[in-house]
Amino acid sequence: MNLNLIIDILIATVPLLVIFPSLFAFTTWIERKALARIQNRIGPNKVGIPCTRAGGSFSLFGLGQPAADGIKMLFKEDIVPTGADRLFHLLAPILALIPAMLVLCFLPLEFPWSGLMSAKSGVQAFLLDSAVIFFFAITGLNTLAVFMAGWASRNKYSLLGGMRAIAQMVSYEIPLVLSAVVVVMHVGSLNAADIANAQENWRWFVFTPWGLAAFVIFFISALAETNRSPFDLPEAESELIAGYFTEYSGFKFALFFLGEYISMFAISGLAVVLFLGGGAGPGVGALPWLAAVWFLAKIFALIAVMIWLRGTLPRLRVDQLMGFAWKFLLPISILNIFISGITWHLKSQNPVVIAGVWVASLMILYVVAKGLNKLNRADVKPREYKYAE
Amino acid sequence: MTLEHYLILSALLFCIGLLGALTRRNAVVVLFSIEIMLNAANLNFIAFWRFSSNPEALHGPLFTLFTIAVAAAEVAVGLALIIAVYRHFKTVDLEQLDTLKEE
Amino acid sequence: MTQEITFWVLAVIAVLGALVAVRRRNLIHGVFALMIFFASLSGLFLLLLAEFIAAVQILVYIGAVGILLLFAIMLTERVTGDDARRVTSRGWFWGLVATIVIFVYLLLPAIQEANLPETAQPIKPSVEALGKKLMNPYVVTLEVLALLLTAALIGAVAAAQGARENKEEQSDDS
Repeated sequence: MNLNLIIDILIATVPLLVIFPSLFAFTTWIERKALARIQNRIGPNKVGIPCTRAGGSFSLFGLGQPAADGIKMLFKEDIVPTGADRLFHLLAPILALIPAMLVLCFLPLEFPWSGLMSAKSGVQAFLLDSAVIFFFAITGLNTLAVFMAGWASRNKYSLLGGMRAIAQMVSYEIPLVLSAVVVVMHVGSLNAADIANAQENWRWFVFTPWGLAAFVIFFISALAETNRSPFDLPEAESELIAGYFTEYSGFKFALFFLGEYISMFAISGLAVVLFLGGGAGPGVGALPWLAAVWFLAKIFALIAVMIWLRGTLPRLRVDQLMGFAWKFLLPISILNIFISGITWHLKSQNPVVIAGVWVASLMILYVVAKGLNKLNRADVKPREYKYAE
Repeated sequence: MTLEHYLILSALLFCIGLLGALTRRNAVVVLFSIEIMLNAANLNFIAFWRFSSNPEALHGPLFTLFTIAVAAAEVAVGLALIIAVYRHFKTVDLEQLDTLKEE
Repeated sequence: MTQEITFWVLAVIAVLGALVAVRRRNLIHGVFALMIFFASLSGLFLLLLAEFIAAVQILVYIGAVGILLLFAIMLTERVTGDDARRVTSRGWFWGLVATIVIFVYLLLPAIQEANLPETAQPIKPSVEALGKKLMNPYVVTLEVLALLLTAALIGAVAAAQGARENKEEQSDDS
């Protein structure tokens, strides 16, 4: 084997394996803090950094909490329920993590050390021409892990949660892909780096009418795809205990948790590539390493919105969930493809035309959204309570 | 790797699929044996395309793309039929579904 | 060298996956073995530089067909069949014979006698070329395929709905 090749592979993949899991630890802390603030609490504030004075004035806002959680998870007893399928019970968390980690390789992250690589372009770990479609294909593997976990646990709550999760993920994958199609149509390439490069000089796709609509659809579908609130029905604590990972404890649970957050990063990363200009930002021209910083900053902005939504929105009902995907997001995203096709043919630099396109397309989208909303409204009557007479 | 390797592999996979289709009683297993056979054929298409004298024509990938789409349609309809049969007869055992046979 | 190792690893995984999928008594295990088979085939497509097909293979077979099979199994069968008689069909012996005969007397000689090209030409994989081909000479095929998929969708829904009406009638009777 070629030694250079091995070094290239290591340089491309090891940072991904180090950076994102450590960001995961940090994100859990941010999430707990933010949710606590939203709910008028303080959140974790006791655990300090190891080897300093435990707790007390060196606690640094509880930044040591993720490390403490990790150690706790590692030493917890690993319980496999009686009658469970032991092999699948073991494989499910691993299978949940692998696709999430794998898709990170398709993001055009330009790390400062990318130049070290001898390959022609050290921008991406996998230089594939059809990176975007691979991204969607591999994200879809998550459903398998969820089913495996739900089925192997021999627990009806797990199985229900797993089936719910599959139905939800399969349904929301369609608007997710259809909203990305718009961008692929405009760039004429499935290559993630090409798509990011097409948005230089602040020509981010989110600043176009179809791009804005597609971004909103993409973000909503991404929330559902990663089982985030308000689409967290598969793991709804109040209905299904914890859904498909009810029977998981210790490190296996930690793997599920990690996989969930990594796929959040990955799908936010794809949103950044498709709509928010990839690593573009002020100062990148002078200092190329700023691209990675901007990329991660944009991912974190999206994660912050996800946390905010989790703190504010209540959970959907099952029928609302499926109806929303099939009867609302799907028609809207197909209409959006149509609109973007028309604007692509207009190709005008005249500001009046651009403004007209903005107004017209947003009006069409708004009217159709209203109409769909009206059509979908279930005729719910006020509930009649039967009291004991 | 020569073309022959790929062709023998694909023939082997095809025969495994055939074995499943001929020796299993469960309708779902028969369906996925058929999928294995279709996939073996796809491998053949791609291998022949890669080793052909005119790969620019892209016949192999195009045909494979069409096969995959047809296979997806086949699975959807096949599984719907299996579920309908199950609701009617309460079994998907192919040897018990013999109401057309002379007794 | 790297390519050869990759080929042999993927080939062994594909054959084992297919065998387990076909012979495993536990259907859920069978479906997951089938998915391993699909994944290794996708790897082989990548090795043959057909990367778009590899992506579609994962997307359609693992992401859609596999999930559909799982749903169908959950809806129909008791998952762990307990006794061997119910798994293998009555004519299994002739099935086995037919398979071996077809492999040894039909496929292997045909492959060995054929005049096959020895080396692959260097190609540059391009999704764009594939898309253009789909739009220019093969557009009618594409449209027919779209029609077929729509028809399959409607057909599948119709089959499921028909079953539901039956059930409702039964429940009305009782």
